[in-house]
Amino acid sequence: MRLPLHRLAIYGVAFLFAIVVNFLVPRLMPGSPVDGMIAQLGPRATPAAIEAIKARFGVVEQPIWEQFFDYLKGLATLDLGVSVKYYPQTVVEVLGRSAGWTAFLVITAIVFSLCIGVTLGAVAAWRRGGRFDSFISPFSIMMIAVPPVVIAVATLFTFGVALRWFPVGYAYNPNLDPGLNFTFFGSVFLHVIMPVLTLSPYLIGEFQTTMRTSMISVLGEDYVTMGRAKGLSETAVMFGYAARNAMLPVLTNLALMLGAVFGGSIVTEIVFNYPGLGLTLYTASVARDYPVIQGQLLLMTLATLGANLLVDLIYGVIDPRIGETRA
Amino acid sequence: MNSGIKLLLRQKKAVVGLVIVIALCLMALFAPIIAPNDPAARVGRSHQPPTIEHVMGTTKMGRDVFSQFVWGARSSLAVGFATGIFITVLGTLIGLAGGYFGGRIDNTLDLLTNAVLVIPNIPLLILLASFAGTVGPIAIMTIIAFTSWPWGARMTRSQTLALRNREFVVAARMVGEPNWRIVFVEILPNLLPLIALNLVGSIIYAIVAQTTLEYLGFGDPLNVTWGTMLYNAQNSSAIIVGAWWDIAVPCAGIVLVGLGLSLLNFTFDEIANPQLRSGPALRRWLRLNRLRMRSLEAGQ
Repeated sequence: MRLPLHRLAIYGVAFLFAIVVNFLVPRLMPGSPVDGMIAQLGPRATPAAIEAIKARFGVVEQPIWEQFFDYLKGLATLDLGVSVKYYPQTVVEVLGRSAGWTAFLVITAIVFSLCIGVTLGAVAAWRRGGRFDSFISPFSIMMIAVPPVVIAVATLFTFGVALRWFPVGYAYNPNLDPGLNFTFFGSVFLHVIMPVLTLSPYLIGEFQTTMRTSMISVLGEDYVTMGRAKGLSETAVMFGYAARNAMLPVLTNLALMLGAVFGGSIVTEIVFNYPGLGLTLYTASVARDYPVIQGQLLLMTLATLGANLLVDLIYGVIDPRIGETRA
Repeated sequence: MNSGIKLLLRQKKAVVGLVIVIALCLMALFAPIIAPNDPAARVGRSHQPPTIEHVMGTTKMGRDVFSQFVWGARSSLAVGFATGIFITVLGTLIGLAGGYFGGRIDNTLDLLTNAVLVIPNIPLLILLASFAGTVGPIAIMTIIAFTSWPWGARMTRSQTLALRNREFVVAARMVGEPNWRIVFVEILPNLLPLIALNLVGSIIYAIVAQTTLEYLGFGDPLNVTWGTMLYNAQNSSAIIVGAWWDIAVPCAGIVLVGLGLSLLNFTFDEIANPQLRSGPALRRWLRLNRLRMRSLEAGQ
């Protein structure tokens, strides 16, 4: 199985774009961010640290092309610079600490929403124009329009503060020692419920809408009629014949939505004080910790590109038509 | 165009959506009459629950939440609508250019579109905003527009590709009409439902993104918007002390705009893709389809 070259070109350009933005923005801004960062370091600003920051943000006597080349060399060796707030920790260390929690949160939310959204979309398309469809489909579009901030704040107030159903803040009870035991997993599960509920409405709305559209176009296909003609039960035709094929556009959409999901997870983590990348980004932006902010953009771009690549690969496996046209 | 408006008004959802959006716009427009007091003035005690005097309570700073809500609508809606228009114009132009001219122009633009599409927007916005410090409405508008045009560009491009070889376009080309005239006079009118869909979706996105940025503290703190209201409420721990009105009011504003616009969006979607229609419109479409099939069969 081969990947089409133009998909790879797209990912290459996107990644290059993120790198160039990272490289150029601090150099184009009026007033160098370097002074602010050195001030932020305070007594920890050793000459070596100052030198490293200056080199990274272009306050050196060097032509811009050489600077860019050095920057690329740094990236290739996974050197994203040092964090200003957590000096002398490196950006890679700071991001590595929180990336796991974000991955856990985002993947849980996606799996949860995928199950609900796809089912709702399939049923709505199957009974198109019915009472269920004319309620759930506009409702889904509405859910896409509500910013995660609003949902997060409403969830926090209702379930966290007023009803006290779920714990507020952190990824697990800080009194527990992380370990492979039931109490710890239970605590992790309880803490992730509200953030997942916050991320889900947008995802469910998107999945439902995409699934409905794609399912409607699939329902007219011959193989669905064939399934019916075989006398299969309605559920068997709906899920075994139609929904399975209608899933493909949902997958594509999922990969493209990942950027928006990261956006939502940033806000969610801030509201719920969840120790993922979003919270790290927020503390970094408050502390003007530019290297961490930049590393964040690169990491999230890489994750989105990776997901898109994965979808391309899955597509090739489950949709035989694609392999044929390319051969 | 007239028939388009009629089609819109026949849909109950669209009418409800339109009424909500227009009502909010009127409220924003007539803010000086509805809430004559300065929204930044200290008028009461800190975190006062709703009373007759202050129908939506007061903030931590003792400001009237109702005045802030009414005045905040101005900036939030203005920036949201302006950004939405900006995104739509950018996306439509790029999609039209790529789809119509094809060849190398199309390859380049399509590559660019898909590349910007996979870059996560909000982290990029945060990076740009944090280097710029606090950003005013114009900067927020520009940043959002330059990162979120690709959805519209993609839709417009594929539609233009489908239209460029239709008879009326080929005829116009043969007659020797200039390219700009073919694009804007022959092709563009056929894309109107799509552009409307793109516009409404972009406005929704712009309001979401703007609120997110302002909530994160990148907005101008002196500018009263629904986003900065949320930011201030969060910073004064309104949730923890139970001042729900301080949080609920800006949230309600954002949800209302979202609701109104998405009801409109749903209808535009059905106009642009007749396949998706439900209710009376769907029945009409199915009937038409059956008639067409029958006439096709009869013709054979």
